[in-house]
Amino acid sequence: MTIGRVTQGMLSQRAVGGLQTNLARLAEIQEKLSTGRSINRASDSPTDSTAAMRLTSAVGDAKQHSRNAADALGWLGITDTALQSVSAQLRRASDLAIQGGNAGALSADSREAIAVELEQIRDGLIGVANTQYLDRPVFGGITAGSAAYDASGAFVGEAGAVNRTVGAGAQVRVDVLGPEVFGPAGDTVFDRLTALAGALRSGDTAGVRTGMDEVKASLGRVTGALAEVGTRTNRVESAQRRADDAVITLGSAFKDVAGVDIAATVVDLQMQEVAYQAALGAAARVIQPSLMDFLR
Amino acid sequence: MSGTFASFNTALSALRYQQTALDTASSNIANSSTAGYVRRRAEAETIGASTQPALWSRSGVGGESVGLAGINRLTDALLDARVRAEHGKQSYLDTRVAVLERVESGIGEPGDTGVSAAIIDFKGAWQDLANSPSNEASRGQVLAQGAALADAVQQQARMLEAEMGDDRARLTAMVDEVSTLAGDLAATNSSIAIAKVNGTDAGVLLDKRDQLALRLSQLTGASATQRSDGGFDVSVGGVALVSGDRAGTFSVVSGIGPGGTGAPPVVLGVTPPGGAAATAVSTSGATGAMVEVLSTTLPAYASELDAVARQLADAVNAQHTAAYDATGTPGQAFFAYDPADPAGSLRVAITSASQVAASAVPGGGRDGSAADTISRSFVAAEASYSRLVNSFGTTVASAGRLATTQRTLTGQVDGAREQLAGVSLDEEMVAMVAAQRAYEAAARLMTTVDSVLDTLINRTGLTR
Repeated sequence: MTIGRVTQGMLSQRAVGGLQTNLARLAEIQEKLSTGRSINRASDSPTDSTAAMRLTSAVGDAKQHSRNAADALGWLGITDTALQSVSAQLRRASDLAIQGGNAGALSADSREAIAVELEQIRDGLIGVANTQYLDRPVFGGITAGSAAYDASGAFVGEAGAVNRTVGAGAQVRVDVLGPEVFGPAGDTVFDRLTALAGALRSGDTAGVRTGMDEVKASLGRVTGALAEVGTRTNRVESAQRRADDAVITLGSAFKDVAGVDIAATVVDLQMQEVAYQAALGAAARVIQPSLMDFLR
Repeated sequence: MSGTFASFNTALSALRYQQTALDTASSNIANSSTAGYVRRRAEAETIGASTQPALWSRSGVGGESVGLAGINRLTDALLDARVRAEHGKQSYLDTRVAVLERVESGIGEPGDTGVSAAIIDFKGAWQDLANSPSNEASRGQVLAQGAALADAVQQQARMLEAEMGDDRARLTAMVDEVSTLAGDLAATNSSIAIAKVNGTDAGVLLDKRDQLALRLSQLTGASATQRSDGGFDVSVGGVALVSGDRAGTFSVVSGIGPGGTGAPPVVLGVTPPGGAAATAVSTSGATGAMVEVLSTTLPAYASELDAVARQLADAVNAQHTAAYDATGTPGQAFFAYDPADPAGSLRVAITSASQVAASAVPGGGRDGSAADTISRSFVAAEASYSRLVNSFGTTVASAGRLATTQRTLTGQVDGAREQLAGVSLDEEMVAMVAAQRAYEAAARLMTTVDSVLDTLINRTGLTR
């Protein structure tokens, strides 16, 4: 713009306008520094704020997945411990059955003692089968009750999968249903142990041998369940690592998009301060003098 | 040859003219910072030489006096028209940006307290419930987060409603101001015409006329044309609002009811002077911005927000009614809303935590798979909301950019006007000193002529 004639009014207007512009920029930088975000409203950068909102949501999802995975690991850990204990007790029962199999070498009293121990193992197994995680029986499926098996060894849980979402679209089943471990109704490991104890008491050698094989078969089923739980634990652990990584990567992506580069912004602030001081100085010099100071 | 006392008269005319020049300088200096003041200049002209030479009407050499040709207001009608046009656009854009920015800060996105944060928390609450469907606290948490989400949506709807109410009140005040200004301008026009006839200096009246016309342009984008008697005729949207000394009225035709209620679209109208009914006009300026915001921008946002609220509630309800609650009975609708105003009336419909349905199977089992399904059911609503917020952000950003660009243009025409019409103190100082010196010289001339006459009258013929 070519200036033909300059008036004091123009100078002061421009000085005020310039100071305002400088102050507005200072305020903008101050807002960024004090909020720690470069996007404080959607219009600051519509594209980046879309990304920021998506990233916030994704970070929330990833955190939730990690929490879900932690819960899943709790379930699987308790289940694993319970299965280990079941496996140990069944091995003991299997040993006892082998002892009892030597029918000729054992007195009726010894057989009775073994039978009693087998019954105790059975009761212990029912206790393990009712292991709880956060007030829920881990072998009870989706039952609302507090036990998976009653004292007689009958399944009282409710079939149904307990799943945990540990990633986008990735669901892992965390429970093992009682019958999958302890056998179907009517032929549970508890029934088998009772039958074995009965065979020992009556000295039924053939029955003891059958019972021995049955207990071994039950042990195989438990080992299978243990392997299954181990596989799932692996899957959940790797999903949790992925989710934790995602929290960090997405979080830093969010910082890149919506955060403030403190160093760069402070430098900006300093430069803007210099510009503001220059504008103040220029205004002070330009507004003050007039011809009056020089005419006498 | 001029008469004996001609030089006296010439000196006297100089004294008079320089006095006026000093007066003008003083009024310029006094008004150097008055808004709308246009600097004046006392124009001099030589008088004395006869314009029609004839036998007995001759002028000799020299002896011309000085006279005041008039006090000029240094302004340019075309530049003034340009200033009015740019200010009309500027105030349209500024008003629009101000409203949009207020709404945007009311939306509060992206942030930790807005609707999108509430959606994320709501999603988390369902996932936690999926993990522990037997936990009473998790159910309560779902209810609380659902209520927080409904509140956040409602709050945004109420904020929009309040903003529209404020804007309607503001627009009503502006419309009244336009009618008052039109009346003032008509009165000023009539004073100008009278001053022109009886030869009074109309400078102050003309300044006032320009100020009124500028304000009218800022409010309505009105255009003004100069009349032969010096006044302004003003029309808004092609309909005459002021014609000479008669003013029409500016009014709201429809869209704003009594007590600040109203429904879009808002229509403004002009009743021309002497006219019986208001003609609907489209305006620019601040009222134009308000009309646009009230008729288009904010209602569009509100209806989009309604759509998001509906989408959210329907998606959650569809899954929730397909699931079973803690007692094993089928779930009820989780959210309820009034179809006429979904965002403003969104609320959680169920009241007790046991009614939260998390199970996909009936019978009161502790299944959490339905909670997991529900947590994923409103992803689409979340996406719609983020699209809505960001398209609004784009609107605000582009309005802001337009206003900034226009500010440069407005600043330029203001500068050009100030170059022509602004008072320069240095210039006035120079004019003042020049007038002072000229005055002193004319006084000195008078003394000299007096002394010459004294010699002639009192000394001629004396030999002593």
